[in-house]
Amino acid sequence: MAGKVRPPPELVECWEREDEEFRELRRRSADWKFIEEQEPRVRLALLAYIETGDRYLAARIAGVTLGEFDELRVKAGIVCIT
Amino acid sequence: MLGVADACFLIDWARFRRRELLASLFEAILIHEEVLAQLRSPSAIDFASRLLARGALRLYPWSAAEEELFIKLRDEVALDPRIPSLERPDLLCLVIAYRAGASLLTENLGVLRVVQFHPTFSRVTAWTALEVLEHLVYGGLAEVRSVEDFLGIVSEYCEDTKHVFSSRRMREVVERVRTWLAK
Repeated sequence: MAGKVRPPPELVECWEREDEEFRELRRRSADWKFIEEQEPRVRLALLAYIETGDRYLAARIAGVTLGEFDELRVKAGIVCIT
Repeated sequence: MLGVADACFLIDWARFRRRELLASLFEAILIHEEVLAQLRSPSAIDFASRLLARGALRLYPWSAAEEELFIKLRDEVALDPRIPSLERPDLLCLVIAYRAGASLLTENLGVLRVVQFHPTFSRVTAWTALEVLEHLVYGGLAEVRSVEDFLGIVSEYCEDTKHVFSSRRMREVVERVRTWLAK
């Protein structure tokens, strides 16, 4: 098995700041009324997406494909950020 | 110039009003069959199908040697909690981009982070839609006379896709476009 390749600490610090910026943008853009109206699994997936920005994780929680989750993300008004 | 597209990029780009310009920027865009299988939304399937029919999008002939490269890369980085969303299909795209010398078209934050530090894969040029828009300008495929014109195209993309770009990425790209316009 290959050894781990670790990012330098200064890059990790930069990512942490970026993660906070992205999380705040997702929170602000979300249609919270739409999210509250969803069935529990979808609601949880949208909340997980807002917190992590991970489309794969959110799609798995919702039990849908990546593309289907993205349709939900757009309906919920949550921006994707890169 | 060759490109390699992952599913997140194609899903978002397929919603963009100027989506057809993508094929004009690249000699060919390579895709792994596992990425193709991820496309389920009608807009993404329609877009990818039309590109495949025109030969602009091509299935990549994956090999055993590339599978070994993927396994090594996965073992090196996939469990690092600071690098999100490192799913197999997106890492396959990174391996293809490395092997083919192609630009990687991705909206996967984890992959964008891997190319920032990985000793081997940092050689790959990774573009989000923002850098694609930038290169459409350089290639004369999107005519802009000012930075404001460019920002107008970026706004169209953001509006169509509900996708925005980090302040850092925006600053860097806008600065490059400003320099290019001044020449």
